[in-house]
Amino acid sequence: MSAARRRAARWLRPEVLTPVVSFTVVLAAFLLTPAYHGHELSDFDVYNTLQGFASLGLIALALGLTIIAGEFDVSVLGMQALGGVLAVKAGASSGLLGVVVATAACAFLGAVQGGVIARLRVQSMPVTIGSYIALLGLTNVVAGNETLTFTNTDASIWINQTVADFFSPRSLIALGAFALVMLVCGVTRIGPELRALGGDRRAARAAGVAVDRRLVALFAVSGALPGLAGAMLAYSNASAQLNPGLGPLVLAAAAAVLGGLSLRGGRGLLWGLLLGALAVSLLEQVFAITALPTSSAQIVFGSLLLVVVVVDAPDLRSSLARLGARRTSMRQVPPERSNPRRNGAEI
Amino acid sequence: MRVAIEQRFGPLAEWRSLRGLLTGAAALALVVLVVFGLTTERFLTVENIKAILSSASIVGIMALGLTFITLIGSLVSLAIAPTAVMGAMVFLVELHFGLVPALAISIAAGALVTAAQGLIVGAWGANPVILTIGAGFLVSGVTAKASGGVIVQPTGGGWSTLNSTPLGVPLGVYVMVALALVYQYVLKRTVLGRRVTLIGENRQAARAAGMRIALITAIAFALAGASFALGGAFLGAFNKGASAQLEGTLTFDVIAAVLVGGTLVSGGRGSALRTLAGAIVIATISDLLLLRGLDTGAQILFKGVLVVLVVIATFVTSGRDAA
Repeated sequence: MSAARRRAARWLRPEVLTPVVSFTVVLAAFLLTPAYHGHELSDFDVYNTLQGFASLGLIALALGLTIIAGEFDVSVLGMQALGGVLAVKAGASSGLLGVVVATAACAFLGAVQGGVIARLRVQSMPVTIGSYIALLGLTNVVAGNETLTFTNTDASIWINQTVADFFSPRSLIALGAFALVMLVCGVTRIGPELRALGGDRRAARAAGVAVDRRLVALFAVSGALPGLAGAMLAYSNASAQLNPGLGPLVLAAAAAVLGGLSLRGGRGLLWGLLLGALAVSLLEQVFAITALPTSSAQIVFGSLLLVVVVVDAPDLRSSLARLGARRTSMRQVPPERSNPRRNGAEI
Repeated sequence: MRVAIEQRFGPLAEWRSLRGLLTGAAALALVVLVVFGLTTERFLTVENIKAILSSASIVGIMALGLTFITLIGSLVSLAIAPTAVMGAMVFLVELHFGLVPALAISIAAGALVTAAQGLIVGAWGANPVILTIGAGFLVSGVTAKASGGVIVQPTGGGWSTLNSTPLGVPLGVYVMVALALVYQYVLKRTVLGRRVTLIGENRQAARAAGMRIALITAIAFALAGASFALGGAFLGAFNKGASAQLEGTLTFDVIAAVLVGGTLVSGGRGSALRTLAGAIVIATISDLLLLRGLDTGAQILFKGVLVVLVVIATFVTSGRDAA
């Protein structure tokens, strides 16, 4: 194989191709919005996209890391809610203190959860569904069952101020967190180890990966990131929501699949995930500019998830191949040999 | 050598001690529950028991359906609440045809929408969690568009029948119990039920045995969707109207009932009667906490912790290893 072809093959891997294509398509749609909607794009649209990314990106990163490692953390939704309430409670006089308390508490709860999952080797999805419900309850208890207003106006203004036209401290912190995780995974062995956890857990264990410790750290991070996102969102809105609903999970899952992550685990690149999260943020901004009704946006994101989940489905290719083979065999092979049940290749 | 033995038998020994611990914990929890129940005023009254069953019924009906999805190894559906709201809307809109036709149309719609998801999961092994999130969003969007975002009102008078209380017990309770018995029979005594369980237990073996996995998965999902829509019809009748507001935390309430019943989330082990028990246990505990003066937040917190504990207990006693 020539060097050029090898390079082409590298680019054609799904974890590379999917995020590049989806980001390019959405970016084109974003840039073309003025053409079909008569709305001149401004710095503010980019700023708003990045504000959306500040929540979505962190939650997508948390969910994406667990997906790469072959897990699925539903509790990111609960961590986001709890983070918001804790930050509003603890940040009344010092904004920084609120964010630190929220992030640390969510990291701690995530680590406990990761410890249980690692020690008992139980599936993470059902456990995190339970802890998601428990976290919503805890959020209500902490908030006294009512939506909290954030009175520290200085912190709200500071976190939303415009920096270099496009950014705010909030979006810069989110991008910084993303960069930090990418750096740690890129420089250390943690990145490949996470993929190994998702690809073949037993093989990873046999190869000497400290599986339990990695899982505890993984769930600590997947608790801390949405906790941070919830804290900053609450500051930004000057109030803390008690129940974010399923919406953030849908957007994060869309970011993960558009980012080229395989839902079976073991495949995915963090810069791909970043592009996926940016693509979803841009798409949301396009919907906001064109004043698309919520129901239409739901239909678009729902259909998008359905399409990518079908493309990602493990048996799709073999099933199509079987269908093709059956057609061919019907044409060429005597009928008694075309019975697919009798030909062992199916198993 | 010793390392090898520990590697082979270490986790097993751990499970055995954990199992003993869990049995003890479950017994202790039961004693605490009984003591709390006996010492809480108005808990052991006929009126309160009726209230518990009544609050369990709508979630229970839907959870019985979800049991099929969980048993066949497709984990859970995250489209439960949107499907139920769709069922409620279709029921109320079609009421001008009369109660029974409206119910039938609503149930058929729920079954059809959910069976399509089952077909994709069964035929191609698509990730059921993400697929149902997407499908739920799609259903929400379409129903919001169709209803124009306003509260759907009943077009006929039949809805009040669903709120009736024969012999002082809400109709929904009878439906929940009847459905539990029928589903239990289907799961344990029919070929379909055994196939559902086998696919959940070992998909590869089921495929090797020549089972039509796509078809059976679609049927299991159809039964689930029918139950979501039926529960939705009761919900719509109870509220005398339907909108996305009804969704609330319904999806996770239903999932909690199945998990607390002790159905193994990875499939292959569980039953309709377990789910019935799960729905009633959750309703009982919520009622007890309410009578003791705890607020909504504490009730939700308690429910979540219960789900986590039962999931772990179910998993440990099943002796399976995820890693």
